[in-house]
Amino acid sequence: MQGLMDGLINGTIIGLGAIGVTLTYSILRFANFAHGELVSWGAYLALSISAALGALLPGLGTPIGPFSFGWSVPIAIAGSIILTSTLALGVDWLLFARLRAKGSAVIILVMASFGAALAMRNLLEFIYTSQPAYFTTALQISKPLFAGMRATPDQLLVIGLSGVLVLVVHLLLTRSSAGRSMRAVSENVQLASLSGIDVRSVIRMVWILGAALAAIGGIMSGLLVQIRPTMGLDLLLPLFAAAILGGIGSVPGAMLAGIIVGLAEALTVQMIGAEWRAAVSFVILIGVLLMRPQGLFGKAMA
Amino acid sequence: MTGILTLQGVVSGYQADLPIIRDVSLGVAKGEFVVLLGPNGAGKSTLVKTVAGLVPMHAGRVTLAGRDITNVPAHQKLRDGLGFVPQTENIFATMTIRENLQLAAQILPKARRADRIEAMFQMFPDLAARPSTRAGGLSGGQRQMLAVARALVIEPEVLILDEPSAGLSPKMVSEVFEQLGRINQTGVTMLLVEQNVRAGLEIASRGVILVEGRVAHDAPAADLQGDPIVSRLYLGGHQPRTKVS
Amino acid sequence: MIDLLSYGAFFLTMALSYSVICLGLNVQWGQTGLFNVGVAGFVAVGAYISAVLTTPETAERLGGFHMPIALGWLGGGLGAAFLSALVGAVTLRLRADYLAIATFGAAVVIQLVLLNLETITGGPFGIGFIPRPFGDLATNANAFGLANLVLMAVLVLVTYLVLEHLVRSPWGRVLRAIREDEDAARALGKSPERFRLQAFALGGFVMGLGGAAQAHFIGFIAPDNYLPTLTFQVWTMLIIGGAGNMRGAILGGVLVWGIWAMSGNLVSQLFPAEHQARASSLQIVMIGVALCAVLLMRPRGILGEVKTLSRHLGPRKPEDTVREG
Repeated sequence: MQGLMDGLINGTIIGLGAIGVTLTYSILRFANFAHGELVSWGAYLALSISAALGALLPGLGTPIGPFSFGWSVPIAIAGSIILTSTLALGVDWLLFARLRAKGSAVIILVMASFGAALAMRNLLEFIYTSQPAYFTTALQISKPLFAGMRATPDQLLVIGLSGVLVLVVHLLLTRSSAGRSMRAVSENVQLASLSGIDVRSVIRMVWILGAALAAIGGIMSGLLVQIRPTMGLDLLLPLFAAAILGGIGSVPGAMLAGIIVGLAEALTVQMIGAEWRAAVSFVILIGVLLMRPQGLFGKAMA
Repeated sequence: MTGILTLQGVVSGYQADLPIIRDVSLGVAKGEFVVLLGPNGAGKSTLVKTVAGLVPMHAGRVTLAGRDITNVPAHQKLRDGLGFVPQTENIFATMTIRENLQLAAQILPKARRADRIEAMFQMFPDLAARPSTRAGGLSGGQRQMLAVARALVIEPEVLILDEPSAGLSPKMVSEVFEQLGRINQTGVTMLLVEQNVRAGLEIASRGVILVEGRVAHDAPAADLQGDPIVSRLYLGGHQPRTKVS
Repeated sequence: MIDLLSYGAFFLTMALSYSVICLGLNVQWGQTGLFNVGVAGFVAVGAYISAVLTTPETAERLGGFHMPIALGWLGGGLGAAFLSALVGAVTLRLRADYLAIATFGAAVVIQLVLLNLETITGGPFGIGFIPRPFGDLATNANAFGLANLVLMAVLVLVTYLVLEHLVRSPWGRVLRAIREDEDAARALGKSPERFRLQAFALGGFVMGLGGAAQAHFIGFIAPDNYLPTLTFQVWTMLIIGGAGNMRGAILGGVLVWGIWAMSGNLVSQLFPAEHQARASSLQIVMIGVALCAVLLMRPRGILGEVKTLSRHLGPRKPEDTVREG
């Protein structure tokens, strides 16, 4: 039963990242291999901010209520969202926007994202070394919930916050004019611009949203486990598997699929062994591609 | 050239060294209904797409209501009063009818949006009957109506339509054309690309014939209807040389 | 002087082994437009299969079967080809970037297998004592180095000639026809899926072969040799050399390996031992930036492409581009 809880927690983090993947995929129309690096950068940027705040104003390090961290972490989350979004916009401006303007083929964009991912990841390793880092060294005692399951207050916060975020993004896409514009660009770029939509601003919106969710996912993972330069790389396959399983373009699908991937990983860890965990996403991915390439909630596409 | 929409020496095409529109000058007067005719590959579609900002322009000038819109990006031309209905994929199939109209109304001030959408529903009662239907499920004629309504939401000065009759049954075509005539009556200037010469000349007040990227004839519709040249071009053996559109 | 000669031979032999792998990728990407993000995995499969087949028998893991080296290379190539065919069969009928994701995943799983299936792969420590070609010359460093260099050069040459021949054969022409106009080719009764799958498997074979040859030259292999960085290096080699161009692929292999080895030397001389791990990550950053810069500024590489690649690198029709404005 405890495995279920762990799977759920990891799954929500995968889901948050997968929402970003699914949005960039459906609107920019390429599989962004650098999305995982936004997760790592988000976590490290938050770590730096939180450390700086802790040094300047030690009072901010005092834990809030039942949680393991002080006010420096929520402030760091806000700062990291801004910085990670800026990073994503910067990479787009430097690389992807130029390739788009040249009319490069999709696969050139995929390749460029692959190059950008390696550069971003190794830059992190250069700055922060490959040693794992932590937001706080405070240990949390997990509290019994029900049916023998236990969770720490931090873990419950992560699940609750993820649920709220999915709802917010879903409402944003379905109810707001910004969301309508995004859906319009994802369906037909030309018609969108003929309808008065500035495609460039929609693309900016997608990067900001995707980077923000990636950063939050990275920070959550860092809070619950640890921060490593390769955390984004390790998450990449689960992110893609969840985005495709959920159906490209579907936000609730990405979250649900993220949880499915997380639970499947937890199950594998219990029944087969932790060393095979990373293979789970591949098995799910191949299964979806074989049986239902459009995913659970996706439109059929070639 | 004078008029609410003017084109002056327009040269355009996807590649600079291979222009499809070679030199077109044209003026459309306020309230006029102009039909753009010509053989396959003459560049009719390319010309209107150039005006809409979808095809790169290599020389020339386009004005709308006195403003130069030559270098204005496609999404900003709406603010200058241009409505454009593409030939295919001219609605958002995954969105509902209402969402299609809401999307088009986004560039209007908030206070006017609801009124304009309501006005469209009054003009097209078929659409008003089920605003929450996904547009992808509509019939060909209804899709075309929605596409026109989408472009009309912003009350454009000029409405450009790229072959709205393509793929419709004759009965549907006459319905759509009737609707276009009524829209023209309300004061909207129309520029229509049409394959069907007879139907096009019947509804329009003026016909412009494009051949190989240049204006070959430009005359009142009534004159063209009885013109032997027109019948030679369209009823005779003129074969299109290239298929470009 | 003697050191320089044997180092030069060693360097060139390594570089040429990358050229073989690069030629394999060129069949997949340059000729067919298939994007493989799991190069490292397919190279590893070739290397490990060949190692298991040719090493002397040992108690710690499966085999070795003590077979001749040539048989090992063949086995390695076939194994990688088989795996490519499997991954290709699942993804080639789908969108182009699903193949990219699936091959990336395949490489992740292969890495896991190398680490965890100790009874076959030797686990994290890998496999040692892989027989080296001309092993009896080992006492004479120069002769040994030169002999291996010649062998690797012959392998590159043979691979090059065979692939060039295939590309110019009716089979290669169909492949190009499919890439230029899939529907027309289909109308002529050619199944694009089948031809793509064949090209993908052929590319996999060459990669596996290159991996096997490299493993035998180095003498030992471990999972760490086959991380995503390897995929990335091979890609950079191909892109810089010029995708679609066989000679470009060979040149790219030598050139990028040269830059890599030299910058590695520089790092080890400039930085004290405790900072070398950090500094070598800068090396990868540099290669990543270089790849992106080449994609932006000279997408056809140094030797340029044969014009058959136009559809993949040239501008698309504006209708399917996310253009701005």
